[in-house]
Amino acid sequence: MVLQPGERHCGGWSHRRLGPWCSPTGSPAPLSCETGCGEGTWILVCRLLVPTQVSLLSMEEDIDTRKINNSFLRDHSYATEADIISTVEFNHTGELLATGDKGGRVVIFQREQESKNQVHRRGEYNVYSTFQSHEPEFDYLKSLEIEEKINKIRWLPQQNAAYFLLSTNDKTVKLWKVSERDKRPEGYNLKDEEGRLRDPATITTLRVPVLRPMDLMVEATPRRVFANAHTYHINSISVNSDYETYMSADDLRINLWNFEITNQSFNIVDIKPANMEELTEVITAAEFHPHHCNTFVYSSSKGTIRLCDMRASALCDRHTKFFEEPEDPSNRSFFSEIISSISDVKFSHSGRYIMTRDYLTVKVWDLNMENRPIETYQVHDYLRSKLCSLYENDCIFDKFECVWNGSDSVIMTGSYNNFFRMFDRNTKRDVTLEASRENSKPRAILKPRKVCVGGKRRKDEISVDSLDFSKKILHTAWHPSENIIAVAATNNLYIFQDKVN
Amino acid sequence: MEFKLEAHRIVSISLGKIYNSRIQRGGIKLHKNLLVSLVLRSARQVYLSDPCPGLYLAGHPGAPAPPQQPEESAAGPPAGWGEPPPPAGRAAWPEPEPQPERPAVPEGPRAGDAEPAATVTAAGDTLQGGEAAAPEAAWRRVEGPRETAVGGAGGPAEVAGVFPERPEAARGPCGCPPGDEDKLSAAPRVDGCRAPRPAAAEPPASPPVCARKRGAAGAGGGPADCPAPGSTPLKKPRRNSEEQPGGAAAAAEEEEEMETGNVANLISIFGSSFSGLLRKSPGGGREEAEGEESGPEAAEPGQICCDKPVLRDINPWSTAIVAF
Repeated sequence: MVLQPGERHCGGWSHRRLGPWCSPTGSPAPLSCETGCGEGTWILVCRLLVPTQVSLLSMEEDIDTRKINNSFLRDHSYATEADIISTVEFNHTGELLATGDKGGRVVIFQREQESKNQVHRRGEYNVYSTFQSHEPEFDYLKSLEIEEKINKIRWLPQQNAAYFLLSTNDKTVKLWKVSERDKRPEGYNLKDEEGRLRDPATITTLRVPVLRPMDLMVEATPRRVFANAHTYHINSISVNSDYETYMSADDLRINLWNFEITNQSFNIVDIKPANMEELTEVITAAEFHPHHCNTFVYSSSKGTIRLCDMRASALCDRHTKFFEEPEDPSNRSFFSEIISSISDVKFSHSGRYIMTRDYLTVKVWDLNMENRPIETYQVHDYLRSKLCSLYENDCIFDKFECVWNGSDSVIMTGSYNNFFRMFDRNTKRDVTLEASRENSKPRAILKPRKVCVGGKRRKDEISVDSLDFSKKILHTAWHPSENIIAVAATNNLYIFQDKVN
Repeated sequence: MEFKLEAHRIVSISLGKIYNSRIQRGGIKLHKNLLVSLVLRSARQVYLSDPCPGLYLAGHPGAPAPPQQPEESAAGPPAGWGEPPPPAGRAAWPEPEPQPERPAVPEGPRAGDAEPAATVTAAGDTLQGGEAAAPEAAWRRVEGPRETAVGGAGGPAEVAGVFPERPEAARGPCGCPPGDEDKLSAAPRVDGCRAPRPAAAEPPASPPVCARKRGAAGAGGGPADCPAPGSTPLKKPRRNSEEQPGGAAAAAEEEEEMETGNVANLISIFGSSFSGLLRKSPGGGREEAEGEESGPEAAEPGQICCDKPVLRDINPWSTAIVAF
């Protein structure tokens, strides 16, 4: 279905929206429609495959990218392990979207520029740059292979024409510079056009080289490599609001780096016990406060969050605030500790709240209240009775991420069967959507899904037992200012947009 | 009782995960192994607190009892668990018994896998060459968590086996044989112990693994077969000559549940993992392994030692299992 500019469609009903949806340049609006439109209003913008073949196709400007993507992807019912997306991140303006995969590659997508001819194409992302960020390494001293999987990508705010991002695998963080080159110098004196050296004796005149336009080329170069600072596996990196430092966190330690210095880092958190037998918890995620460059939080495998102030001491082993919710004794099981382990922690854009994701829930905490979260959302509580099976097939160890929307009014996280969930904090409404090939007609409207827990299953519902646990959505990202989301499902990247344009 | 069955199953699965984690690409994941060891501990507590283990044995479907000694032995140790003192069955390992069996372990795996053999040898060399105390210390660390987690949870023989093998330095009262010997014994026990367990809670991955290892070990064919009693004596001479760090044995014992017959491989893996424990410099991988093995379980010294005398009454096979 192709929308004409201004046309709106919502599940076949006509409705009157009371509140404005997000306009392309406006501020984000609440997720749910106030008139009670039950149908989801998210549409698929494009589905992208990360492998390099897609990048070649996308480079051709006069081909319908969506058509290519769909027909191309239809043939690929397999997914090589290296193509599995392991991280997704928008940059600060939302113009670029970076993905990292298990094969150590980073693929950057750029938003299609708005053009009068193809208004409906706005919002699509095409491949901008692809590069191999990390290679598999072998630590000979410990006889360990270091995976090249990209664990996290974090963008730096743009300060000049080039883009900078940090990408990390288990052991090494790299700063990449992605820049465009659309001109090249011509008219060297000592070299001819093919680059061959000219004999100086044959030069009779001198000329000044000029820059001539050339086809746009995007090149990525590693500017810094921050290595050998982590004994354990790095799980998080976070750029500080001062834009001069960043931190990297592994299971037991957090290090503070300066972007300019690669051979030194400061250890700011160390929870390694003197005797490893006494180890009870590990660090699972860490993030800097969005505005206060001295504040950061880190979450633990015990379900606790610690907020630290770097001004208090050089080593922030003593937290400034400690967030923990008392455990509900009625829910105790063998796996209580596993499902309480926090897999992701994110500050709200305002800096006033933090959101944590554990296996079954998403919780929003107010920084001013440490003894319990202010909101708890059940992501897939129907899995609570299946924890043993999920433990057997290792699904219980899946680390789901969570994201805020630009206005901190909606939170989103992934689930199984390629479902992902959004929770509107204001209206308390939630929706389950699916990122699947079957629904991937361009501009197709996403239909809300429902999981039937027991008893009678209605027509469109899915029963818990038919969920596909191999299809999990661990990584999602939300555009910083618009209602555009990127959802990674195995090796597919889905981009959805709220239908307003 | 259902809790006990469940706990038992969970223990088996957990041990399998710990075992498999060592072959995962990227090194041992500290976080995951920590969580697995927490589950082990919970399951162990439940298993220990269950008041009627005997019923469990009777009611236990007992996997298609392979008409092998291991099966009978399997019945043995479980019964031992039921009887008071519950830990006794697990922990009582006649010392002399394990030793003869140990040598067999390295031999078995080695025969089957050239690679593991090489690794074992290398590990052994490394370990022996290194700090003398390191292996024992490492092992102690490994043993500690295992002991609490596995033993409590009722992991059959494996758990028991772990205890006696602890180095004396670590567990004086136990009077276990030197750590290095324990590791060796671990392997065959694993095979033996495995057989009875498959029915109970064998992770699907185990049988294939066992099959390969069994072949190597020269024990009975097929994953379900426990090594014939005769196989143990075959392994004896080899074991005696082997000196491996204790750490590997500890790891091996946990693997036992998972039918990982390639003890030598385990030994090398865990041995090399633990050799870094005593290094001052951060040995990331090692530390992880250590953390993973020792995990959060606090050592519970003395718990197993008291079980030893009880074990002597069990038939040799079950003893072997237990000892392992």
